This record gives sequence, C-alpha cells and structure tokens, in this order.
Amino acid sequence: MTIKKNINIEEESKKTILCFDGICKVYKGDYPALDDINLVIREGEFVSIVGQSGSGKSTLLKLIYAEESATGGELYFNDELLNNLSKRKLPYHRRSIGTVFQDFKLLPKKNVYENVAYALEVSGVLQEEIVSDVPQILDIVGLSEKMRKYPHQLSGGEQQKVAIARALVHAPMVIIADEPTGNLDPKSSLEIIELLMKINSLGTTVILASHDKDIVDKVNRRVIRLDNGKIIVDCAKGKYKNS
Amino acid sequence: MFLTIHRTFKEAFKNFTRNGWLSIATVSILTMSLFVISVFFVVTLAVDNVLNGVQEKVNVSIYFKPDVSEEKIDEVKSALEKFEEIKSVDYISKEKALEDFKRNNATEPVILASLDEIGENPLLASLIVKAYDVNKYQLISEYVEKAEFSSDISRVNYGKNKDIIDKLNGFIAVTRKVGIGLGSLFTLISLLVTFNAIRITIYTHKSEIEIMRLVGASNMFIRLPFIFEGVLYGILSGMISMLILFTSIKLIAIYAPSISLVSSLMSIYLGNFWILFAGQVALGSLLGIIGSFIAMRKYLKV
Repeated sequence: MTIKKNINIEEESKKTILCFDGICKVYKGDYPALDDINLVIREGEFVSIVGQSGSGKSTLLKLIYAEESATGGELYFNDELLNNLSKRKLPYHRRSIGTVFQDFKLLPKKNVYENVAYALEVSGVLQEEIVSDVPQILDIVGLSEKMRKYPHQLSGGEQQKVAIARALVHAPMVIIADEPTGNLDPKSSLEIIELLMKINSLGTTVILASHDKDIVDKVNRRVIRLDNGKIIVDCAKGKYKNS
Repeated sequence: MFLTIHRTFKEAFKNFTRNGWLSIATVSILTMSLFVISVFFVVTLAVDNVLNGVQEKVNVSIYFKPDVSEEKIDEVKSALEKFEEIKSVDYISKEKALEDFKRNNATEPVILASLDEIGENPLLASLIVKAYDVNKYQLISEYVEKAEFSSDISRVNYGKNKDIIDKLNGFIAVTRKVGIGLGSLFTLISLLVTFNAIRITIYTHKSEIEIMRLVGASNMFIRLPFIFEGVLYGILSGMISMLILFTSIKLIAIYAPSISLVSSLMSIYLGNFWILFAGQVALGSLLGIIGSFIAMRKYLKV
C-alpha cells in the first residue's frame, strides 16, 4: 500500500502536459462529440483511449493536434491555452507533437529518407543536422536498410514505422497514435506497439487510440474509455476488458 | 528565409519531375493558351500593318489646269496645309509627273513611244493631299470643289478613289471589331481552361497538403513550391509557345509567300520577340500563381 502511494506521488510530481478542463466539442448541427471532458495527462505517461467508433476518440486527439478546436471548456498543452490557436502559431504547435495514423499518411512521391527529412525541413533545421538525425531515427525503427525505398515498395508495418520515425524526428513532447495498428496484421501490430513502448520508455508521452483489445492489454498502462463523448472509465493501470 | 526558398524551390522542381504526366498535361494546356493569345497578338499587329500600308496609299489628288502658275498652286498648298485634318500636301510639278510616268511605264515601249509622238508634256501639275483619317477625304474633296480656286482645277480624283476608300473604311472597322471580339473570347476560354488545369494539379496534391500541415509546415512553406511550380510552368510554356509560333510563321511563309499579310508576320515576330516572350512567361506564371493560390485556399483553411 505504501509503495503504491509513493508511485502516485511520483506520478503527480511530474509535469502536466495536457489538461482538458470541461472540454465540449459540438460539430455544426450535430450531437456533441465530446461532452464535459476533464482529463490530465502528465509527462512520460502512456495513455490508451478506447471506445466504440463514434465515441469521440478521434475528436479528442484532433483537439490535441489542433485540427479541431473545442466549442466549450479550456484545453492546455504544456501550460499554453490551445483554444483558438492563431494560424501563425499552429505549425509551431504541430512540431511539438508527433502524429501517427491508421493510413500512415506518408508523402507518396518521397522516399523513406525524404519523408522523415521533410518534417525537419519545414521547421528550418539545418541540412547538416538533417543528414545526421534522419539515419539515426531510421535506425531506431529498424529501417536504415530501406532509406531509398518509396512508400509503395514497403509493407504496411514498414510504412507505419516510417510514420513513427517521422513523428519522432522532432523529438516531440507527445506522440499521438490514432489506431496505428488498424491496417496491420497481428505480427506487425505487435512490432508497432513495442516500438511505441520503447519510445515511451525513453521519456516521450504516448497517447494511443485503439479498438484492439490485444494491443491495449499488451501495453497494460493507463486506460481511458469513452462512450458517447464522455469518459466512463479512467484507470491508472488497466486492461481493455475491465476498463 | 534563404533556406526556405532554397528548399521550396527544390521541392517544386521535384514535384514537377515526379508528376511527369500531370506536368506535361498542364504545360501543354498552358502552351496552347499562350499560343492562341500570341497568335492573336501577332495577327492583329500584321493586319494593322497592312491596313496602315493601304491607308498610307489613299489620298486625294488635285490636278490643276495647264495654265495655272506655280505661285498660284503654292497659295492653294499653303491654304490646304492650314487644316488640322490634313497630314501632308505634296506638290508634283508637270516635269515630276512626267518623270514618274516614264518610270512607271518603263517596260511599256508603246506608251513611251506614243508619249514621244505627242512631243510636249501632256501631264498636269497636282497637289497630293493626305489626311490623318480616311473618313475626312470626303470633306476635303467637297471643300476643294467649292473653294474660290476651284476654277483653276482641272479635276479632283477623289471620286475615283471614293469606293476604295469607303470599302477600306468599312473593312478596317469590321476587322478591328471581329478581331477584338474573337481575340477576347479565345483569350478568356484559354484562361479558364488553364486555370482549371492548375486547379486539378493542386487537387491531386490535396492529401499531401494535409500531411504537410500535420508535420507542422507553415502555409508559406506549403505554398511556395506550388508557386514556383506555377512559374516553372509559365517559363516552359512560354518557350514552347514561342517555338511553335516561330515554326508556324516559317511554314506559312514557305507555303504562302505571296500573301502580303504573311510577309510582315516574321518581321513582327522578330521585332516583338522579347515583348512576346516576356508577356507569355509573365502571363503563364501569373496564371500558375493565381490558380494555385485560389485552389489551395480550400486545403489550407485560410
């Protein structure tokens, strides 16, 4: 009992990265996608968000990378208010977040190296740094051999690894993964999740939205279940089923 | 800033080469548009040249009776020169008229022989009046026929040229109207087609633009490659269009050298080479830039 308490204190002393304060999101002329969400995510956490389709998982993630903005409540990222983020500041915000999607979202006309390098080029990183950083990151995800291949020449699992490398190359505070294993076979799925866990163990916060019970059980960390835009379960260390 | 321009320009060049077919299609459409517009431009200039040439040849000749003195003709000349509608009044003496006549008929020995037969100079001194505007010849000839010196005049040949002048006037007016009408129509159509082609090009980049935004590219960084690509389209299309235009004019000159319009085409092309080239490149690039700007608004949510 005392040990567990200590862990909690340690967790709570960590920096808050995301704070949802009474967040609501209503799409025009539609039912609320998110309804009064109160949630705190701290540095170094691995949070799995589960729930049925239409429960609000993707909307929650979109608010974080500012693809959508909340219609009510306040959302803080790294102590900065995200509501109505200005057009000018949006790209800078995006560079502090890495995103990974079910459909990989790689640039089809760029090879593996260029896809990862592009994320650095847009932030004005010097060429020398790009040349040294990109191969390192590709080495971490195990794709150094396929640097000159184009996305269509890779398997789904490999494409997702490229996407993860691209998300990681900025050294972002948070990685957001929206159903990253949705298009992958079980073996590749496992590899992707292990990669995300490895990244998390190196200190990056990971927020994962998933349908996949096996995946969430494998992670075995904080699980948040959404239903009709509301948080119905938030357990610090959980499995898909009992969440 | 320099890094951004360098990177986005490289990006534009890669886009251009990697989207081979689409680039070729866009350049072809843009080339055709520019070609149509430049053909219109060159033909308008050529027709204008021909019309000006014909207009130059139109005049009113006032022939004086043989006994009228040179001083008297000089008075009439300075009286006519006072009218602001009149561009020039040239005096052709009897001797000058004979000289011209002989030169014009140098290949007709019969005519020259009959001239010798007469023994004296049968030709009349005349004043050749040119106006700025072909419409004014009617007025001028009416004035001359009613003037106090009309008793010294043998004849005014306006009547002879009247039909030609009237027809020419009508022709010029119609040609200009039709030219401007057709030209504007073709130009408008070409602009719309090109504009649409560029929009389609951008549309195929829709998901790429979404990805670029996701990895934190600023709108400027996303836009610049497309703008450079537009300029690239413009330059390339301008060059190809100039080449096609040159070839077409050459071919027309080979197969139809006798048409007076044709002979002026090449000199117009060469004389206006840089204006034509710069105009096409500028128009092409402008279309590329405006087209991509408007097409991208949607995907950049600005």
